[in-house]
Amino acid sequence: MGDSSALTTRSAAPWIERKVEDKNDVLYLAGVWRLPNVAAIADALRNLGLQGQNQFIVDGSRLEALDTAAGFVLVRHLADIGCTPATVSARALDPRHRRLLALVHERMSTPPAAGRSAHLGFVQRIGAAALKLGRLLKSHNAFVGAVALEALGLARRPALFRPRETASQFEAVCIDAIPIVALVNFLIGVVIAYVLGVQALRYGANVFVADGIALAVCRELSPILASVLVAGRSGAAFTAQIGTMKVEEEIDAISTLGLSPIQVLVIPRLAALMIALPLLVFVGDVAGIAGGMAVGAWQLDIAPQVFLDRVHGVLEMRHFVIGLAKAPVFAAFIALIACRMGLLVARDARSLGENTTSTVVQCIVWVIVLDAAFAVTLQHLGI
Amino acid sequence: MERVLRVDSIVSRFGAQVVHDGVSFAVARGEVVALIGGSGSGKSVLLKEIIGLVRPTAGSIELLGADVWRSSVQELNTLRRRFGVLFQDGALFSSLTVAENVAVPFRENTDVPMEIVAPLVGFKLALVGLPADASAKSPAQLSGGMRKRVALARALALEPEILFLDEPTTGLDPVSAREFDRLLRVLAESLGLTLFIVTHDLDMLLSVADRAIALSAGKVIADGPVSAVRSADDPWLREYFAARA
Repeated sequence: MGDSSALTTRSAAPWIERKVEDKNDVLYLAGVWRLPNVAAIADALRNLGLQGQNQFIVDGSRLEALDTAAGFVLVRHLADIGCTPATVSARALDPRHRRLLALVHERMSTPPAAGRSAHLGFVQRIGAAALKLGRLLKSHNAFVGAVALEALGLARRPALFRPRETASQFEAVCIDAIPIVALVNFLIGVVIAYVLGVQALRYGANVFVADGIALAVCRELSPILASVLVAGRSGAAFTAQIGTMKVEEEIDAISTLGLSPIQVLVIPRLAALMIALPLLVFVGDVAGIAGGMAVGAWQLDIAPQVFLDRVHGVLEMRHFVIGLAKAPVFAAFIALIACRMGLLVARDARSLGENTTSTVVQCIVWVIVLDAAFAVTLQHLGI
Repeated sequence: MERVLRVDSIVSRFGAQVVHDGVSFAVARGEVVALIGGSGSGKSVLLKEIIGLVRPTAGSIELLGADVWRSSVQELNTLRRRFGVLFQDGALFSSLTVAENVAVPFRENTDVPMEIVAPLVGFKLALVGLPADASAKSPAQLSGGMRKRVALARALALEPEILFLDEPTTGLDPVSAREFDRLLRVLAESLGLTLFIVTHDLDMLLSVADRAIALSAGKVIADGPVSAVRSADDPWLREYFAARA
């Protein structure tokens, strides 16, 4: 039992030897009967071709070490060929080994079946995913209702609103996000200006690049990019924060203190994000136009002054306002989905990761879907 | 008797806080030792230092003949296959079923063929007293006592020479806790295991351990058979044992 290299020993000892002494079948166990050798031991046992009807004596005088894995292989083999405690007896076994074999025999009488994780087939997976999606949308719907009721309650008793929590969330989702939103929109402005500029130069229509940039950035690109960034940054953060609180039973603690988790956790985040996203879209507008202006000055021969004059002349207020007006809608979807997915986290590590991923995917998909709906509707309304 | 663990004048400091101030003891093969001490006395930190997770500020730890903190990563990993650890909450892998959890050590550390691993896993689960239908469940579906048993089966998978247990009965109801105590005692006696238990469960100490080591204010204040430690003259120990009339 005590040899230090037992786990790596791999001697080619004859693990078991069968001898007939005085008409008795004697099985001499020999060598190190330990886990690394169980495969060889199992083979040796099988090759012996024992018959269950015989009387056996198991002799342990040559046994150097025995652990439960090897003991289990021996006891199971003897049981498989039909031996019973009445037909097997032990001889010269170390008392420790005898106790171990007795324990193995006692405990293996009801070995549980080995279970594997369930793996669904292709069609089953599609079906399961569809049902899951249906349930999720239904529960999202109920959640929106619950939040609306709480918000109404808040309107009646504004003292319950949590300005501190809202402000700290606002700092995290808005102030801290300004650099990344500005950078991404600036670069998109640069890219669009390049692509448009190359075409416009052929016709000497350089100055129209300003029209294109201003319209695309203010009406579509800045709201979408800011929303996608916020979904990835703040949406994931909301789910992870609330999910961890769920795992640590903080949500239950909030409820038992007589507070509503929706008022404490969801509404401040929702309010913060609905204020923050239009501001981020504005930052994105400025950065995107600045990006276009930079390319205009360097590559297209449009002086910044001219570029700005042009933007001022052609960009109608409605495009700018539509871009800003979409933002709170996107923000509401992002905040509600992220908080909801956080509250749905189960008490294990995998679930937190799955829900965070799902939040980001759902938010981005919803932002694009809503944006398409806005585009079609506004087109039909002629705005 | 052969010595399997020697802790020699361990000092642990975190910033200005001194957790251990010269802790020394040794454990022989086959002993069942309980490490006791109040909350914050550094029991769990000491356990982590012994199994190579947290480096002590000074002192040395010799486990199964190897100096834990002077071993290379490779030597440490070889050493780790020779002892098992039962973590406080079980620390089961949540993405795997019970049977897969127990199969992990076999799969990662041995080349035992799968057709032998599957029945062996079943046997290990039966060994720790789990019902047959538990093996296909996920850890989230199990009660606290069952999770501890699965964790024990996993810790026992590679036939460790020493088993370290961190607060094994915390979070169990008294009935499950006493059942777990009996299981540990049977395993220790039948398998010749050395058990090193960090606990503050008095019942467990009295029913499982042969020997107790008490930590207080960074030092070993008592070390010996449980009955001797019980009658030791120390205010904390007297209060601790007085909790059980």
